[in-house]
Amino acid sequence: MNVLIIEDEKALAQELEIFLTNYNYICEVCYDGASASEKIATNLYDFILIDLGLPDYDGLDLLKELKKSGSDAACIILTARTEIDDRIKGLDLGADDYLPKPFSLLELQSRMQAIIRRKFGVKNNIMDLDGFLIDLTNRTISYGTSAVNTITKKEFDLIAYLILHKNRTLTRMQLSEHIWGSVVNNDYDSNYIDAHIKNIRKKLNAFAPPDWLETVRGLGYKIKINA
Amino acid sequence: MKLGTKLTLFNTISKLVIVVLFVLLVPVLIKNISSNYVDSKLIKQKNKLLQIVKSQGIETYIVNGEAYGSYLPLKDEYISLDEVDPKYFLDTIQRGKRLFSEGDTLEYRILSHTFKVKNKNYLLEIGKSVDTLDETSIPLQNIAFEVLLGMILLTVLADQIYSTYVLKPLRIIIKTKLVGQKFPNFQSYRKVRTTTSDFEHLDLSIHKMVETIADKFHKEREFISNASHELMTPISILQSKIENMFEEEDVNDELKVRLLEMQKILNRLKSITKTLLLISQIENEQFLKEDKVSVSELLQDVYDEISIRLQDKNIDYEMNVPDNWYMVNINKFLLFNLFFNLINNAIKYNREGGSISITAVAVHDKFVISITDTGIGIDAEALPFIFNRFKKFRQSLQQDSFGLGLPIVKSIAGFHDIEIDVSSEKDVGSTFKLILPAMLIVVD
Repeated sequence: MNVLIIEDEKALAQELEIFLTNYNYICEVCYDGASASEKIATNLYDFILIDLGLPDYDGLDLLKELKKSGSDAACIILTARTEIDDRIKGLDLGADDYLPKPFSLLELQSRMQAIIRRKFGVKNNIMDLDGFLIDLTNRTISYGTSAVNTITKKEFDLIAYLILHKNRTLTRMQLSEHIWGSVVNNDYDSNYIDAHIKNIRKKLNAFAPPDWLETVRGLGYKIKINA
Repeated sequence: MKLGTKLTLFNTISKLVIVVLFVLLVPVLIKNISSNYVDSKLIKQKNKLLQIVKSQGIETYIVNGEAYGSYLPLKDEYISLDEVDPKYFLDTIQRGKRLFSEGDTLEYRILSHTFKVKNKNYLLEIGKSVDTLDETSIPLQNIAFEVLLGMILLTVLADQIYSTYVLKPLRIIIKTKLVGQKFPNFQSYRKVRTTTSDFEHLDLSIHKMVETIADKFHKEREFISNASHELMTPISILQSKIENMFEEEDVNDELKVRLLEMQKILNRLKSITKTLLLISQIENEQFLKEDKVSVSELLQDVYDEISIRLQDKNIDYEMNVPDNWYMVNINKFLLFNLFFNLINNAIKYNREGGSISITAVAVHDKFVISITDTGIGIDAEALPFIFNRFKKFRQSLQQDSFGLGLPIVKSIAGFHDIEIDVSSEKDVGSTFKLILPAMLIVVD
């Protein structure tokens, strides 16, 4: 997948590039609006990540140009500007998602995956983990012929996030940011992730021990999938 | 009490006091005036009589040494002339009683005067009844009182009208600029028309003060908003760098733990910045209030988010909210955060195995949602300050908050005109009452 990163903060643009390249995206980076405008006009992309606060360009104008050119690239707006009207304007102009800074790279990847599922209609989205069939599209889990329906929404969110970033250790911080991201919270503790994981293990254990859900001592959790 | 009322009251009372004093003095004054008048009349009569005696001789009155006496039919005046001992001397005007042959005793003002004619000493007495004098003083007193009372009423009325007129600008200043204004959000400032320089000065001073305060407020908000915005990008870069470093192959586990520590600290910075930004956005009214949400559903959403924390601490959670209550003209995101923070606090400061109860009742035309916990409570002296930013009073077991939870709650409540009432008892628990105005709730 081709990604165009339009971000004037070079350090951030580089990190985005490193991260997405790791996830097998092909990245191009622009640090200003003018060159981005040129690239949009000449190349085809699957994803465009736009920072709204560019020094020479209004990010929303770039979005308009993109839509005018007839590109069907998915757009994600990255911005430190969180004014409500920007959000509405961005989504009206056809941005597919909106990620306020500071965001986690893992969250970006998760949003991109969601867009891919939506836009390209990924059908075969069922993971088989030692007999547990996890359907990421319909958000269900089953073991053999029986459905595991004790799993709550939050617990499924955690499992799906760990699967999306499979074989990678996710810290409690990253996990809690994903499942409690919309709450502006007074505290920064993430101990409740442990309670969630404990519950998940207990519920799955009724069918079979979920050894694929690993605790990484002192760091966090990961789901191991041998591809 | 209003200034106008005070002035009128003072005017009325002071005038009344003066009038009463005057009316009380009237009898004394009248007595004085009339006795002076009577005395001069008596002296005149005496002189006239002496004149007659001088020109016509004492025989006009006294024949054969018999005393002379004369009085008017009703005895309110009398004259008597009699020979007395040659050594007797008298020249006075006094009050005295006189007995008449008919047996009447009357009180008179009596002029007594001795004079000598042909080596004989005579005593002249001229009396005038004082009853007539006393009788006049009471009606006079009454008339004076009535007239003066009427005058007072007139002047008080005039004072009232004038003070109302002259204090009108002050009233306008108070009504339009002080009462009912949501400080410091003053609307456009209109000059109050007045010819009184004091009021002009007052109006201008208030105007200037408000402008200064509004300006400072604005600058503070702008600063917080700008500062937190500007911090977002560097935090974003740091976070991305740490996240990428986790995946580097040559990073060992020991280093990873240290990276995790960094991530924790960064997360703390991020939370503070995000919270400050949220508060500044609320204060700058950058949120719309157009959502309609069922109260019980919203609380259920909060419960879903937070149930793991209840479970973790084994806290009993009881919710008693009518299903047909809907919040309108609100921002769902903000209200969610308000309840989340309050309930989260109720969990955080609760004891293991404690309980939380949420109830909703309609009181008159308002709606009250109460969140009661069985936690550690709040010290009475700390209570007034719990909504201040960065103030931490309650020590939870985990040192993991930075004192912005309740400021968020306060900002959100203020933005929606929701009143918060907190009561707490140390080591027993706290109750946070949200008092919602009628316009925020629809009962279906």
